[in-house]
Amino acid sequence: MTNEGIAKMTLAAGAAAVAASKTVAAVDAAKVDEAFKTLKTYDLGADRNSLKPIDEAIIATHGDAAGRKALEKGLVDALAGGISRAAQDYVCRRLRVIGTAQSINALAALLPAEETSHIARYALERLPDAKACDAMRAALPKVSDKLKPGFIGSLGIRRDEKSVSAISKYLGSSDLLIAKAAAHSLGLIGTSTAAKALTSFAKKAPDGMKGEAADACLLCAEQLLADGNKTAAIAIYKGFQGEGVPKHVKVAATKGMLTAAAKK
Amino acid sequence: MANHKSKPKKDQSTSHGRRTFLKAAAASVALPYFIPAAALGKDGNTAPSERIVMAGIGIGNMGRGDQGAFLGRKDVQYVAVCDVKKGAREGSMNRINGKYGNKDCKGYNDFREIMARDDIDALHCATPDHWHAIIVIDACRNGKDIYCQKPETKTLREGDLMLKAARRYGRVVSGGSQRVMGDYRGTVNPCWNGDKGIIKSINVNVGPFPRESNKKGQPIPDGFDWDMWLGPAPWSPYHPHLCSGSFNINGTSWRSFKDYSGGGMTDWGAHHFGGATFAIDVRELEPEEVIFHNENGKKFATCVYPNGKLLHHNHPGRGNLHVEGTAEKGPSKPVPKYSGTGGIYGDFIDCVKTRKRPFRDIEFAVHTTTVCHLFLIAYELERSLKWDTVKQQFVDDDEANRLVDVARREPWVI
Repeated sequence: MTNEGIAKMTLAAGAAAVAASKTVAAVDAAKVDEAFKTLKTYDLGADRNSLKPIDEAIIATHGDAAGRKALEKGLVDALAGGISRAAQDYVCRRLRVIGTAQSINALAALLPAEETSHIARYALERLPDAKACDAMRAALPKVSDKLKPGFIGSLGIRRDEKSVSAISKYLGSSDLLIAKAAAHSLGLIGTSTAAKALTSFAKKAPDGMKGEAADACLLCAEQLLADGNKTAAIAIYKGFQGEGVPKHVKVAATKGMLTAAAKK
Repeated sequence: MANHKSKPKKDQSTSHGRRTFLKAAAASVALPYFIPAAALGKDGNTAPSERIVMAGIGIGNMGRGDQGAFLGRKDVQYVAVCDVKKGAREGSMNRINGKYGNKDCKGYNDFREIMARDDIDALHCATPDHWHAIIVIDACRNGKDIYCQKPETKTLREGDLMLKAARRYGRVVSGGSQRVMGDYRGTVNPCWNGDKGIIKSINVNVGPFPRESNKKGQPIPDGFDWDMWLGPAPWSPYHPHLCSGSFNINGTSWRSFKDYSGGGMTDWGAHHFGGATFAIDVRELEPEEVIFHNENGKKFATCVYPNGKLLHHNHPGRGNLHVEGTAEKGPSKPVPKYSGTGGIYGDFIDCVKTRKRPFRDIEFAVHTTTVCHLFLIAYELERSLKWDTVKQQFVDDDEANRLVDVARREPWVI
């Protein structure tokens, strides 16, 4: 930010990536403009500092809706413009912080490809708009088995109730990485519907899934308890008191029961 | 403890198989003609069935040091190592097998194989930071205690999850800063003795911040599982500076890069902030606010605790661990100590045996790294933030809340 005393200024008219009429607070607009131009050819090995004016503009535009929208549009347009993987990586990291519904389609377009899927999810998982979940949920059945655990995990972290049905189907996957992600995510979602799917699965879980299923049930019970559903939580804990349950799981279930009992 | 374990299901050739054999043999043979005293623990050694069976995950620089400390203990039987670098893994196996004079120690590229071994009681983890939470949580859910190198967390959310996993399963989880107790006595003792008066604040000078990498790739060395090294972190081409375990934070080690570390702010911060929070006795608390200051271009920040104590970072004009207190004598209280013998490692082992909480219990470790992350996020956004310690979220700051965690690369989920 080198422009002395500038509180607000208009981005240079030649800015290809950022709408010319938008304002950015206390930022050297020419440098931002130049950084967006650089982004088009940015690749591995390039000077990371060449993009720093965009980073600074993001900080400077906090609370400036118009400025932010302009920056976001610039980033989204860059994604659509056929930039390198390194540049896509840079853009997705910025959209993780400032992305809105405006970014979701561009990020969703990156989800199916193995090279860009994670970095798109890196932005989408943290983007609060519900449409981010919609995009990941819609992509889940279409992406490769290698990518599926990541999507399932992100939907779990978002506690996306709408995904419970789809995720539940993966509990029985022969791919243990998918099945484990499904169990864990249902535990994170932690609703009654998720609990039903999990407890039903836990009773018949194959050896390779028993530990994950138990852990997911315990996670789910904690979430239910936190949400005030004491009865459902206790029902889960009771399921881990019998013979053959590993000692540490039994300890966890007993502690859970005591916590639930103490909760009004 | 070893003698509480069920019969191992696999890998009978390894030491856990041997240990089970010893137990079975002892039960079936009424009066052996000769049992060495050492095997019964009568020469000052610990009987094999009473030793803590350990494995190490990530055995490069710090991992090697940690391993040496555990390996040197008579009450530890070291049976497995895991590292994604074949050379490090095999070198470590040879070191251990050389010490024991057998071939029992096994090597693994994938830590999940160690988690699956039900003969292993405890682990130590010295992987790069982006792996810590996954490994610690997996250890807990597999009923294992764990000593995890500092900085224990890579994100704020990870700390909450690690602490909950430890408590859920009743595991002993120790953080890994030996300096908190070892290096800061000159600050801690006067504070706890009351010589600094009623404590108002402490300052920590530490850095630098981590950076993003944009390095061009190089050929992956033979025997190095680069994809596993990256694990949950975003993909990057291989470059030796990204994965060097060097202690430099100047762009030539993983400690320098945002995807794997919090830079000096967490790497040295875990020590300094750990010492500072110990000195002013706020280990059991998390700050409720971090105030970002920008005075004539000089940026610094302050964490505010619920009891009003202040933890400054890079406060102008104040030295590292500078304590500000009242003039009158403050209350005096005994300074907490390690359990057992052998420093932080002995403390962990003793707690594994007694089920006490270690000196560097995961709760204190997480609270320290939480300070680091709160500062990092305040500096990244260049603004003050309020932190809800119960919800583990920033108050009314959607943007800051995005930085509470990162999406992990498949298949890793926590």
